[in-house]
Amino acid sequence: MKTLRALRSAFVAALVAASAPLVFAHHEPLAKFDDKKPVRIRGVVTLVDWRNPHAHLFVNVASADKVTNWAVELESPIDLEASGWSRTNLVPGDKIAVEGIAARDGSRQIWAKTVVNAAGHSLFVVNNAPPPMPLTPHPAPTWPDGQPRLGSSAGGEQGYWAFPSATALVENGVNAPMDEWGLLKNVNDASKVAPMQPWALQLYKERQERFLRDDPMYLNCKPPGGPRQFELNPGVQFVEDRVRQRIFVLIGSGNNNYRIIYTDGRSHQGQVGGDDENPLFYGRAVGKWENGTLVVDTRGFNEDFWFTNGGLPHTEQLKLIERISRPNFDTLKYDLTVEDPGAYTRPWSATWTLRWVGGRQMPRHICQENRS
Amino acid sequence: MKKLALTLLAVCLLAVPAIAQEGFPLKGSWLGTWAGNKIHGNDVLIVMSWDGKNISGEINPGTDNIKIRSASLNPDGWLVHIEADAKDKSGQALTYTIDGKIENLPLASRIVAGTWKDSRGNTGPFRIGRQ
Repeated sequence: MKTLRALRSAFVAALVAASAPLVFAHHEPLAKFDDKKPVRIRGVVTLVDWRNPHAHLFVNVASADKVTNWAVELESPIDLEASGWSRTNLVPGDKIAVEGIAARDGSRQIWAKTVVNAAGHSLFVVNNAPPPMPLTPHPAPTWPDGQPRLGSSAGGEQGYWAFPSATALVENGVNAPMDEWGLLKNVNDASKVAPMQPWALQLYKERQERFLRDDPMYLNCKPPGGPRQFELNPGVQFVEDRVRQRIFVLIGSGNNNYRIIYTDGRSHQGQVGGDDENPLFYGRAVGKWENGTLVVDTRGFNEDFWFTNGGLPHTEQLKLIERISRPNFDTLKYDLTVEDPGAYTRPWSATWTLRWVGGRQMPRHICQENRS
Repeated sequence: MKKLALTLLAVCLLAVPAIAQEGFPLKGSWLGTWAGNKIHGNDVLIVMSWDGKNISGEINPGTDNIKIRSASLNPDGWLVHIEADAKDKSGQALTYTIDGKIENLPLASRIVAGTWKDSRGNTGPFRIGRQ
């Protein structure tokens, strides 16, 4: 009987795990879990499901008269493995204690804040700290013509840019606290975030009030177009093709795709043969160097994605002016002006920095469902 | 046979993904019905766009070519108001007024539901879904 029950638990866990990619897309945790519902469980691991976008532990929790199976959600295996964890840190039969927050829908799911094994060791803690900054900043590497190198260089240090100082768009000078996913701590701050038209403000508020659960980047694997690629923790990497006068921006998340910034003086038209008028996720970007700053003018965006964490709306009238510079070896400065008369009442700007992550490869988060 | 037809229908419905449109909520092509409309038929197609200040568009483009004279979207409740000048088959003018509300706003396949009426006193339920 006991064996049968164990088999049944394992079967249920496997069934839930098998459906995980459809049910548990990568997301703002608060879209699914309620931070006002703390929960603790103690139990025995029945299954470790080490799969993107989130790893899960399935745990049998015994009470006086029955055993219930809980799903414990962790960060992505990519982030966990970058912090030294693996699928073998726990195996079925291990006893654990979990503290976290409960699912909003009342199902037996937990977003884990701590996982502690029988020996009292904390497991699956993700290290999100940026690499240490040198006391004296090193100068940025340059090309022979004096322009800063934005990316890795032949014979030089390899790396990428990550750890953005801001992970959602907020107009410069505005104080509107939010979490790393762009969820406002107080939705009443919504009107301060950017000078939105009434419809855009209401849409932004409703996205916020739904805890960003409609974000098409997570629901439908839509690319992180616009400035969003510079807001995501997996980071970006520049590949500068000086001969063909273009810069590739490789994107660590959002299907691991790329964007091209042309620096050969071409116009915004004619970048996609026979498809000039078709708006794109990354728009059409042309760049030029001004006093050590790459100034990029991008237009021609479609409206099929969120251009920032947090869900600020945009329209096809969106035009971005990005000023990208490297004030020192470890710092990339990203200065953005947003012009979109379809959604905003005036142009506005936001500025943040990214950190150089040297000697490591950019992580590859790949969204595989692509259901839309 | 009936089972096969139902299965094929289900497959077709599943195979037509909604195209996301995350910008101005009324922009795009909308297909549905203005039930009881004996002048321009039961089915209606509306194409709307947004320039940042005004909503423009056309009702039944290609067949009736009814230009939208004015339209508004009140984000407080997502209330939609559309006025359009049309002509009947004899060339007589009539005006349509549509009042509705956007339902399931976050979804690409959002709906506008409400009522239509014309300047001759005809009226009926109105329902269009974004394509």
